[in-house]
Parts: sequence; structure tokens; C-alpha cells
Amino acid sequence: MTTGFLATVRLVLAKDLRTELRSKELLATMLLFGTVLTFIFAFGFVNDPATNRKVMPGALWAALLFTGTLGVGRTFAREADADAFTALVLSPADRAAVLLAKILGNLVLQVVVLAFVLPLMAVMLRVDLEGVVGLVALQLFLGAVGFAVVGTPLAVMAVSARFAEVLLPVVVFPLVVPVLIAGVKGTGVVLGTVIGDDPSPWISIMLAFDAFYGVAGLLLFDRMVSE
Amino acid sequence: MKAFPLFAGLAALGMLAVHYLAFVYVPMEVTMGASQRIFYIHLPSAWLCYLGFVISFVASLGYLINRKARWDAAAVTAAEVGLIFGVVVLVTGPLWAKAAWGVWWKWEPRLTTMAILFMIFSGYRLLRAFGGDGPGVRVFAAVLAVFGAPQIYFVHIAVSRWQGDHPNNVVMEPEMRVALYSNLGLMMIVFFLLLRLRYRVRRDALTVSALKRRLARMGAG
Repeated sequence: MTTGFLATVRLVLAKDLRTELRSKELLATMLLFGTVLTFIFAFGFVNDPATNRKVMPGALWAALLFTGTLGVGRTFAREADADAFTALVLSPADRAAVLLAKILGNLVLQVVVLAFVLPLMAVMLRVDLEGVVGLVALQLFLGAVGFAVVGTPLAVMAVSARFAEVLLPVVVFPLVVPVLIAGVKGTGVVLGTVIGDDPSPWISIMLAFDAFYGVAGLLLFDRMVSE
Repeated sequence: MKAFPLFAGLAALGMLAVHYLAFVYVPMEVTMGASQRIFYIHLPSAWLCYLGFVISFVASLGYLINRKARWDAAAVTAAEVGLIFGVVVLVTGPLWAKAAWGVWWKWEPRLTTMAILFMIFSGYRLLRAFGGDGPGVRVFAAVLAVFGAPQIYFVHIAVSRWQGDHPNNVVMEPEMRVALYSNLGLMMIVFFLLLRLRYRVRRDALTVSALKRRLARMGAG
């Protein structure tokens, strides 16, 4: 019996979220890491309010990359046991659907972590986000999508590399730098620390990036895991 | 195979000729003076750096489709040669920047995007050097090259899209054009010589390991 594309996405995603909710290992680690990072940025950069406001976008986006790396690196960790990954790939399930489910799974974790880190950082750096929180959150979300669509397919392949935990961030970070730049600039515009009053050009770069790499990953994934 | 040393020798001599064109033949540029002559090496290197990454992109895509080890060998080789020309760009660039702008480096859109592109393929090369050599790593690397090379587009649009200070679409005197394109032509010969040399080493290594596997099977059987 074969299931439809969306049904497969739902099944794999539900399975991953259910196991994560039971163990909470990844979520707890990412949340704590996000907290630690916030502290490090606070210790490193806390200054007068104007400077803090300028530091905030960079700290926020760096936290996104670093916590995201933890999650993405563990994407197929559960399937590594007993070679369940091979079973997943050999099953009649559409492989692109499996990838999409994994991307969404990483995205859900990342959104939870960011929903915690954003207010925490605002408090620690004493930055007032009133009135701009929606636009900041939107950009962080688009950035998280960009990170997930680039990082997830690469993480799948990285399991077969020697030295994978170390190499994965080294190859993923430069690829997502365009999103990081757009995000930092766009967030800066919203916070009033970067010249300009309209973050939409930066948001459209992120949208284009997300769409391009999302589609490219889904199209290529079938070729990546065959054999 | 006698053609290779001949071409290599001619390329070495030709290198002297095109340097003569760039440093003596071309009249002095009015505003920037002598430092502008770096341009004749800088710009062709940038084009050839892109060319290397584009070849790597195509070969990687090919490898994902046909899984032939030779396509993968071509992809690594092209990325590697592209990186060599990338180093030339990133060394000549700051030299020129120091003379023209007074600083070695600026976070200007084209410089930034070029540095990112260079980092992506440096990561690729690092992966090939230390990530092992199984089929899985090859696929990983192929995806990385396929994901990475399109960012050449960002480098290309950087100056016009984000109002950079980097020269873009410069208007050239006829002598300048002669020097630019002869430098490009010669460096392209060097590019393909390097590509061929490194590709042959990898192809031969593949042949040797295939023979070894066959030998081992014969010994076992």
C-alpha cells in the first residue's frame, strides 16, 4: 500500500515530533544552548542601550545559526540506529516527502527555540521590541526556513562522511550567509539601527533563497539517496 | 601526450607576453595610475574562478544523475582549479583596493559575495580532503557544489543591486581591451592545462584502484 505525498509528510513528521516529545533530548539541548549563547552575547557585548540595539540583530542571527546546527546535525540520528534510514529510503514512500517532513521537523524545533531566545535576548540585552516584534519574528522564521532547506539535505549526506559533525557547519554556514546578511540587515532596519525604513528588499531576498534551495533540495533528493 | 609539455612551454612564454601587454603596452590609466594594471590579471582570474565553479556544478549534477566516478573526479578538479584562480582574485583585489580605496578590504557587496563564494568551495575542498572517499561523501560534495555555484549570481549582481563601489562594466580603450582579452586567453590556457593535469591524476588513481579491486577478487576466487 502506498500513501500520498502529503500523507507521507504527515506520517514522518508526526513520528519525529512524537519521539522528540517523548525524549525531549534535542529540544532541551537546543534551548539550553540558545540560553548559553544569549549569555555569551550579553557578557560580550552589553553596553549602553543604543549599542545593545545595534548588537541585537547579529546576536539573534548568530544564535539561529548555532542552535540550528545542533538540530540539523541530528536530523537522521534516529534513523542511524539499526540502519532504519535504509528502510525509510527503500519504503515505497516518496523520498521528497521524507525530506520535506525532515525539513519541517527541523523547522518546528527551530521555531520553538527562537520563540524562547528572542524574548530572552530582548530582556538580557534590554532591547525594547514593542511594535516591531512581528516583523522581527517573520524574518527569523524566513531565516529558519532557509537554514532548514539548505542544512537538512546536506545533513542527510553528511552521515556518510568522516569527521561529519565538524565538517557540516563548515560547509553549511557559508551557504546560508546570504540569508544571514539579509536577516541581519532586515532586522536592523526594523530596529532602526540600519539605514532605511523598509525591510522588504531583504525579506524578498530571503523568500527567493528559501524557494530556490527548497525546490532544488526536493528535486535532487531522489538522486541523492538512490543506492 | 607530447602536446602537454608543448602547451605548457608556450603558456609560460605567453605569460611573459601578456604581462608585457598589461604592464608596458597599455597606456597609463588617468585616475588610478599604475595600480589599475592589476585589472588585467584580476578580472580574468575572477572569470576563470567562476568557470571552475560552473564546471564543478555541471559535473556534480552529472554525477548525481549517472554516478560515474569520473564525473566526480572532474567536479573536484574544477572546484580546485577555480579556487586557485579565486586565490589570485583575493590577493590582487586587496592590493588594488589599498592603492585605489586606501584600505585592503571593505565590506562592499562584490567583495563580500566573492568571499562567501570562495568559502563555500573552500569548505567543499576541505570535505574532499578530510571527509573520506566513499560514494556517500561524493554525493554530499556534489550537492554542496550544486547548492554553492548558483551563488555566483549574487557576486554577479552585487554591484548594481546593492550599489557597490567595486568597478562594474567599465568602459575600455582599445589597447585595454587587447590586454584584457589576451590575458584572459592565456590564463584560460593555463586553466585548462591545470584542469587536465589534475584530472588525469585522479582518473589514473581511479583506474589503479579498480585494477586493485579486480586483483583482489582474482586472488580470492
